[in-house]
Amino acid sequence: MVVEQQLLPYFQWLLTGGEKSLGALPSFAFVFLGVAMAALVIGFAIAASRYGFLRGGDVTYKTISEGLRELLQTSPRRVWAIARLAIKESLRRRVAVALGVFFLVLLFANWFLSTNHQEPARLYLSFVLTASTYLVLGVALLLSAFSLPGDFKTKTIYTVVTKPVRAGEIILGRIIGFMIVITVLLAIMGVGSYIFVVRSLDHSHTVELESFQVVANPAGEEVGKKGTTSRDAGHRHELTLDKDGNGETTVENGHTHRIESLGENKYRVSPPLGFIRARVPQYGKLRFIDRSGAAKDTGISVGSEWTYRSFIDGNTPATAIWTFDNVSDAVDPNVPEDERSLPLSLIVRVFKTHKGVIGQALQGTIQLRNPDPAANGLTSEPLSFDAQDQQVDDFNIPRKQYSQSRQEIDLFKDLVSKDGKIEVLVKCLDRGQYFGFAQADCYIRHPDGSPIASFAKVCVSIWVQAVIVVSVGVTISTLVSGPVAMLFVVGFIILGFWRQDFVDIATGKSYGGGPAESVVRIATQANVMVQLEDTLLNNLVTGFDKYFAKPIMWAVAQTLPDFRSFSTVRYAADGYNVPWDRVFQDVTVCLGYVVGLSIIGYFLLRTREVAK
Amino acid sequence: MSEEIILQTRALSKVYRDFWGRQKVRALKGLDLEVRRGEVFGLLGPNGSGKTTTIKLLLGLLFPTEGEALVFGKPASDVAKNERLGYLPEESYLYRFLTADETLDFYGRLFDMPSDVRRQRIDELIEMVGLQKARKRQLQEYSKGMTRRIGLAQALINDPELIMLDEPTSGLDPIGTREMKDMILRLKDEGKTIVMCSHLLADVQDVCDRIAILHQGELKELGRVDELLKVADVTQIRAKNLSVDCQRELRDVISRHHGELVSLDNPTTTLEELFLEIVRDSEARPGRRAGVK
Ligand SMILES: Nc1ncnc2c1ncn2[C@@H]1O[C@H](COP(=O)(O)OP(=O)(O)O)[C@@H](O)[C@H]1O
Ligand SMILES: [Mg+2]
Repeated sequence: MVVEQQLLPYFQWLLTGGEKSLGALPSFAFVFLGVAMAALVIGFAIAASRYGFLRGGDVTYKTISEGLRELLQTSPRRVWAIARLAIKESLRRRVAVALGVFFLVLLFANWFLSTNHQEPARLYLSFVLTASTYLVLGVALLLSAFSLPGDFKTKTIYTVVTKPVRAGEIILGRIIGFMIVITVLLAIMGVGSYIFVVRSLDHSHTVELESFQVVANPAGEEVGKKGTTSRDAGHRHELTLDKDGNGETTVENGHTHRIESLGENKYRVSPPLGFIRARVPQYGKLRFIDRSGAAKDTGISVGSEWTYRSFIDGNTPATAIWTFDNVSDAVDPNVPEDERSLPLSLIVRVFKTHKGVIGQALQGTIQLRNPDPAANGLTSEPLSFDAQDQQVDDFNIPRKQYSQSRQEIDLFKDLVSKDGKIEVLVKCLDRGQYFGFAQADCYIRHPDGSPIASFAKVCVSIWVQAVIVVSVGVTISTLVSGPVAMLFVVGFIILGFWRQDFVDIATGKSYGGGPAESVVRIATQANVMVQLEDTLLNNLVTGFDKYFAKPIMWAVAQTLPDFRSFSTVRYAADGYNVPWDRVFQDVTVCLGYVVGLSIIGYFLLRTREVAK
Repeated sequence: MSEEIILQTRALSKVYRDFWGRQKVRALKGLDLEVRRGEVFGLLGPNGSGKTTTIKLLLGLLFPTEGEALVFGKPASDVAKNERLGYLPEESYLYRFLTADETLDFYGRLFDMPSDVRRQRIDELIEMVGLQKARKRQLQEYSKGMTRRIGLAQALINDPELIMLDEPTSGLDPIGTREMKDMILRLKDEGKTIVMCSHLLADVQDVCDRIAILHQGELKELGRVDELLKVADVTQIRAKNLSVDCQRELRDVISRHHGELVSLDNPTTTLEELFLEIVRDSEARPGRRAGVK
């Protein structure tokens, strides 16, 4: 799975942030202050233009102080009344249709989703979860953007605001009401999706008795059987049975089956196992040694534009080195102590410059090394493996290892340093071929989490996105009509999705300049790399971008959520557990938006003429 | 009627502007009013004279262009005033997908009423407006008259001190109108202050203590209904059981102050006449009418 940004532990994320980022709480405070100042200035400007300078100041002051007072008078009963109304309104506006659409989509999905695929679970999971995301976001958008404008249009808002209900309660109640609707929708869709995936991938095999071969030990006693299963759902498994006729199949298309003997050549094959997984990786830190043996932060580029992975050359000293912290033999405490191993997973991106030997996989090696200087670079014997492009390769490296001078060593005692660190060295053996790695491509594999829990966490991340959409929709719809509010929210989602690119333009990281310069480039057909001529017009345009457009873009970007990072669909699709830190961070961000937008919504609703 | 001022406007003006801030309509021009506790106050005027605008300004639904509106001594934009206020809009702007019960329950919750108080109050109001049979039906199935009743019930959910009614009898049949007026008089007996506006003269004449007549956003007449309708230079005598002789001697009897004087007062014109006169007069000579301070 691609992990571009390391996930920080929750409290570090909240308070202090990472190396290049600020903590979430301080950032929130800064953005909040920034928005508050901007709102104050704009609010005062409008009031002053309407009532004059002094009276405008007075009005502004009164609005704010009254706002603070009314905040304290918020009544849960009134908020709940509005929330109930929002729920009833949603039902009247037939949100249930969304569920109908969803199940219809699932019905037809089987037509174009195929189980005869290398990883059908990835296909199915990403499909159903993406479909749920779009549907729920669509519902959130429509419900929130048209709710308040509807009340203005039918003038029902007149009878509401002439009750003691506070403007903030009208906003917050709506957000909560729609949040509940979305929670229910998502719960139904989630359960439906899960059942759909499990049922769609479900299949069984029979055991092909004629393929059976006896497996004997060197003494000639029968220890089990080998054979294959029948071909079903586009694949067959090989199987190994023990003396009693029980056993397991090989992994095909991302799953296995368990086989149980029923006596007299009758076998029961279990439903597929391991389709939906929740791997729990522990990531390390990656560095490289290049072909001349020099240390590097990155490997070499093989020309692909995306710099996420970098490559090592085969049959040279080039090595990818991961350093892991907190390594102990207690990764899986259920295993007896002397049988414990280091569960390591590796994903290799294979880049071939020549065909090599047809039908034979590229070879690589894994070695373990003690990073403690006192250990003098004690390294284990290389363990070779077949590299399959983009496949997760699971190793269990036994604790009994040999040093390069063929002495028996213990993985956890000798190769792990005192402070719990270990280095994993990976090389490519084939000359002229390359292995590509990113930091997240090698990890210590903790016991799998519950797939259902992980799936539920993905649903929470969809929920977070929907709630943010609802908050934005309700807030902006205090000011504009339904269709305009909808366009605004769509713009918000799109900008949020491309937030990073937006910031890159604002900070001058991307080529081609700001919006005005882009217009000039489009008009004059100058591509982004061409130097613009030094004319007055061009200088004016770039100056406009630099001193006006880009600062505004930067400021706007600060308030945008990074929608792309909310999506945890790929965790489920790739079979990884969604970390709790991720869930808590997303829910916290969501809460921040609900609070911030409710406050903005309060002032927008409070300062507008309801009967306009 | 006490002297406590419940509602006050000072030089209240409203200019409607369009999206670009250009002046569209001057709907209200410098209105000065005071309404005291226990009064039934009527705003009278032809369509488009600024009655609804006045009520909306008093409710804080609109912000004044100039001047100010005070309710219970506080600015109209203060939400806290709504605790003691009930409002029946021009048309009952209610959620059509709610039933009568749900509607009243919803508005009751907005007053932060605990559930037992709410239940009891809803039962009382449903009975008072006579919607027992229809209380479980959605408002979209209601007739105009029923909608009006539930609208009134909604306005009374908090047992308000001040009730603002915008065209309370509009769309009602004669029986409905009579019932609405009786209801208003009953509320007056309970000591409520009522501000209502209407273009129907009979409504106002029957229930209001004082009226203000608006025309094109300007206050044309303000005073007690009985005084406004008094014709000062004419005396009217009504008596009964007079014989022909007696009738003949009537002047003597009156001049000598004997005989049974049943009535001796000023005849009243009808409100309709006064109203039409004011409108005619106003159209001929725009501006403030003489006699209104
Ligand atoms: N929202 C509005 N925008 C522009 N003009 C309005 C608006 N509401 C009312 N008006 C105008 O203001 C004047 C007074 O209207 P209104 O107070 O509703 O009258 P009434 O209730 O006495 O019939 C009318 O000329 C009307 O056209
Ligand atoms: Mg009106």
